[in-house]
Parts: sequence; C-alpha cells; structure tokens
Amino acid sequence: MSRSIQYTASPLLTSRTPVWRSKFVVGAIALGFVGLGARAAYIQVVHNDFFQRQGEVRYSRTLGLPANRGRILDRNGLILASSVPATSIFAIPEDANLDNAEQAKLAKLLDMPQADLAKKLAEDDKGFVWLKRQMDPEAAKKITDLKLKGIDQRTEYRRVYPEGEAAAHVVGFTNVEDKGQEGVELLFNSTLLGRAGSRHVIKDRLGRAVEEVGESVAPEAGQDVQLSIDTKVQFFAYQKLRDAVLANRAQAGSIVVLDANSGEVLALANYPSYNPEKRVNLSGAQLRNRALTDTFEPGSVMKPFTIGLALNTGRVKTSTIIDTAPGSMMVTGATIRDSHPHGALTVEQVIQLSSNVGTTKIAMQMPASEMWETFSSAGFGQKPQIEFPGAVPGRLRPAKSWRPIEQATASYGYGLSASLFQMVRSYTVFSHDGQVIRATLLKNSEPAVGVPVFSPETAAKVRKMLQMAAGPGGTGPKAQTAGYSVGGKSGTAYKQVGKGYGSDGNRKYRSWFVGMAPIDHPRIIVGVMLDEPTAGKYFGGEVAAPVFSEAVQQTLRVMGVQPDISIQPQIVANAVQESF
Amino acid sequence: MTRVNLLLALAVLGSAIYLVGVQYESRRLFTELEQVQREARRLNTELERLQVDKRSQATPARIERVAQEKLQMRQVTPGITMYISASDTAQAKP
Repeated sequence: MSRSIQYTASPLLTSRTPVWRSKFVVGAIALGFVGLGARAAYIQVVHNDFFQRQGEVRYSRTLGLPANRGRILDRNGLILASSVPATSIFAIPEDANLDNAEQAKLAKLLDMPQADLAKKLAEDDKGFVWLKRQMDPEAAKKITDLKLKGIDQRTEYRRVYPEGEAAAHVVGFTNVEDKGQEGVELLFNSTLLGRAGSRHVIKDRLGRAVEEVGESVAPEAGQDVQLSIDTKVQFFAYQKLRDAVLANRAQAGSIVVLDANSGEVLALANYPSYNPEKRVNLSGAQLRNRALTDTFEPGSVMKPFTIGLALNTGRVKTSTIIDTAPGSMMVTGATIRDSHPHGALTVEQVIQLSSNVGTTKIAMQMPASEMWETFSSAGFGQKPQIEFPGAVPGRLRPAKSWRPIEQATASYGYGLSASLFQMVRSYTVFSHDGQVIRATLLKNSEPAVGVPVFSPETAAKVRKMLQMAAGPGGTGPKAQTAGYSVGGKSGTAYKQVGKGYGSDGNRKYRSWFVGMAPIDHPRIIVGVMLDEPTAGKYFGGEVAAPVFSEAVQQTLRVMGVQPDISIQPQIVANAVQESF
Repeated sequence: MTRVNLLLALAVLGSAIYLVGVQYESRRLFTELEQVQREARRLNTELERLQVDKRSQATPARIERVAQEKLQMRQVTPGITMYISASDTAQAKP
C-alpha cells in the first residue's frame, strides 16, 4: 500500500501526493462549515435583535390612535364646544419645486399672498413646514387634487364653538395643538384631553394593515364636561348686556346669572367679547373675563351685609329710627355724606334710600372684627369660590388694621374690593336663608349646602329691604320687571382718572346692580356691571338696573317660573273669530 | 415503513398548505375589519360634525333672528302669557 493517492491508472500521470493533503482539504472545508454554522447560530439565536429590528422596520408600523377631545355641553346637553376634523397642509421644501403658475394657484387656495408662500417654500434647510393648519376639508381636497409634489396634508381636529361670542369667556378656546388656553377649555384641559393610543401592525406591499402584533394601547377619549350654563339664558344675558353697553356708550360690561338654590352659574358674559373660532387681532380688552377678574369697590351693594349683621345680632330692628340729618357726619375728621339729606329714617329706609350716614351710624355700634367676620364669610377678600383661570380674591384688609374711618367706609362698601362675580355669589346669603353657598360652573343636581352667616329671619328681612330699594321710592326702580317681584342694590362709583377721581364733567363712572327674584323665594341672582357709561346716564339704577330687569324676565321665563305678582293681561280673549 | 413516512410527509405538506391558506384568509379578514373600522371612525366624526352643524343652525342667536325677520314673531312677555298650574288642568278635566 503506497502512501499516496492514485488519481489515474496511467503511470505517466502518477504523481505522488501525500494523503495528508486531501485530509487537510477535507478538514479545512469542514472547518468552514462549522464556521458558517456557528455564525448562523450566532445571528439567529444569540444576536438576532439587530436583524429582527431591521426586518420589522420593513414591514411593521406603529400607528397612533388619536383620542378625541371631549365636548363641552351646557346644562341641557347642548354643545358649547366640540372637535371636528380639519385638514392641515404642509410642504417638504426640498421636494417642492413649484413653478410660478403652480405657486399662484396654491397660494389662492391657501388664501395667502404668493410672496408668503414662496418664502415658506424657500426654507430649504427645513425638512418640513406647515403651510396652513386646520383648513376646511373641502378646500383642502382641492389642494390635493392639484397633485403637487412635496405638498401633503394631515388630518387634525379643530374646535368649533356654536355659541360664538356669547359664551366665549366661559368656554374659552384651545390652541392649534388642541391645548386649552382660556376658560373651561383650560380649566378642564386634562379631563377633556383623553389619552392617545397606539398599535403595532404588519403592513403588506399595498400598505394595508394585515396583522396586529404585540400589544395595542386603546385610545382613551376625552370626557365630556357638562356645565351649569344654560345656553338660552347665556345668550339673552349677553345680548341684553351688549345692547346696554352700546346704548350707554360704555367701555365694557359684565353680567352674571346665578341659580339662587344650587349656586350654579346659569350665565356669565362680558362685552366686548370675541369669536373663539376666529381669533385674529384679539385685544386684551376682548379677552378679559371682567366678571371674574375686574375688582372694584362694591359700594352700596355692601350695605345689606352691614345692616344684616346689625339685625342678626339684635342691635337694631327694621323699624328702629336712625337720624341721618343733616345728611353728613364726621368720623375722626373725615366727612361722610349722603347724596341727598334724608332726616330720620327707619333701618329699612336706610337701605331703600341707600343712606351712607345711616349705614355708618349703625356700623359704628359694632366691633370691626364682627363686620370683618361677616364680610369674609360672605366671600369678600377670600380665595375665589370658583375655580376659573384669572379669578381674583378681591381685597379686604384685616379688621385689626381698620381705623374708625375705614370701618365707616367699609360699612357702605368702600376701602374693599370684589369682582362682580363675588358680589353676586355673596348675595346667596340673602337668597338662601342666610347661608352662603358655593358657586359652581358644573351642572349639579344636589341642593347646595351653605355656611350660615345670618338667620333665615334676618335674610327675609333684608330681602324685603332689597325689594323696597328696587321698588318705587328706592334707588333702583328700573329693576322692576313685569310679573316678578325683584329686589336688589345698585352701585355707582367714580373711577380713578389720573391721580384723583376727575372733576365734574370729566368724571368716569362704573355702575352696577346686584339683585334677586322672585323676592320671597329667590330662584336667581343677577349682577350687571357697566364700565364708563358715557351717554349721559351713569347711576347704577339708571343704566345697569334695566339690564337686570330684562335678564330676570327672560331667565325666569326660560326656567318656567310662574309670575308671583299679578300682571295686566294683554291677551285678547274674545277676538273676532276668523271665518273660513 | 416507507409508506408511513410518505403518508406523514404528505400530511405535513397538506397542513403546511392549509396553514398558508388560513394565514392568507386571516390577513384578508383583518384588512376587511380594518376598513370597516376606519369607515366607522369616519362616520363617527361625520356624525360629530353634523351634530355641531345642527347645533350651530339652532343657536338662540339664529333662532331669534329668523323668528323676528322671517316669521315676524315677537318676544313673549308675561302680559301675553296665560299661566295654568297642574292642579287647574286636573280640575278642568270632566
């Protein structure tokens, strides 16, 4: 046996190859296979995530599942704000090489100057630029139909506000990213928002999802928020306020309608307002929710609290005579004056005629701390009782720092400040049997639990005084409304002009009226404020009370409250029968 | 032995083909489901949009304008309202 392999029979071709060479080749090939096998095992078993990922990138997609923002509803379930689909157009400037004619066409459909469009498209360094957000889907379709390269669109959601400017200050608005910016949209943003979901799918060649892989996260739709606002009341209130602001050539105005039993806000409106869907050139004056953010000295509106405290503690009776002659008095060197001298008045008449002197004389019998206690438990100077962006607490200095003159002026509503909303809410003391109740913007079917401030008897007595004040011989007879008994207090204040309060003929005023109806069992409290009426009339009883009257009339009718005072019927009972 | 093996091989082949078929069918159905769900979403948003539309056609502002301008109606006042309470109507019934 030779130690070589014979490849051929021909002796000429015999070569002497040693056996180890062929074994070496076999061995080398075997080693190669082992190497391949090891590599394959390494790739497929040990280190497979890289390739898995690369594979997935090619066929699987993560799809976002948008969550709808919740709606805002009024107390009857009518929509105050809702989201509808809208299309946003964007461009990839690198890919978009439009000629002049195409640009002109596109600019026209986008409703923007062609120069602006050209500028946006020229931003080559940006990979992405919005051309227009939240367009009407139909207009957007026309753009898609142009089939321009580098121009594409994305579906988004746009907020619509059917009530427009009438409810703008309550509802607020969202920005283009669907984030609440003002009002209820801001306050309840997290409730309304919902949570977007996502899922993993395998897509086929045509881009259709064919299989779901992994776990999907279901989107959580935003919750609806139901407000206490009544759309009809809100609209009437806004309309009457707007008419009054325009008729009195006032700067601005606010109105608040509160349910006297539940503390629900039925309407809250300000003028000037804005359309929450078209928010271009908005001014601060339009945006300001004056009813909650503007504070001023409540003036005569405070008198019922001072008198109520005196009645409640038994210091005076409704028939106690207070001598207010000669219509002015001195308190530590300062003079307190009535607008007209009245002489001897009963406590009731002090409210009816709104006598500063009478109120001061009653207030000076009481310790400052008791007055402070009453005022602050009614909500003055306290944290706003309603959660709302921009709501202010007003100002009420601690009783310890009150000098006698300050106690005197505080008794008739000066030296402290409050927003119109706070005043309206504080009047629940009189409407709700002496208890102050929480105000709320959310619908609430449970009866409100109040914090007692006065006894129910005191509240009833003060209500009667308020009725007298709003009746003939009072300061606000224009608050009277057909069919319903009303009661309330008016207020008028000089506004600061420069360093003082202006001189005669150059004064600026603020006028307001806060009252309730029907007076025996109040259902609503209404507050109206007009800022700087300049059409001649400026007393609260002249400019704000008529708005109060109309708002009360409409609101009680909408609520289905029966008139509590008889009215001259104007129904023609026996009209001539029409012949057929 | 070979026959059994052949049979098993055929069975494996058959089940493999069946699996492909089922997979195909399931993907087809999934696509269909997907489409229907998309349609449902679209209809939902459409509903939302129409509800809003309906609502904005029925705002108090518009109703008042139409009632006054087109229908020549005027606002109700208590003077021209006849109030009847529930007990009155009960008595009125024979």
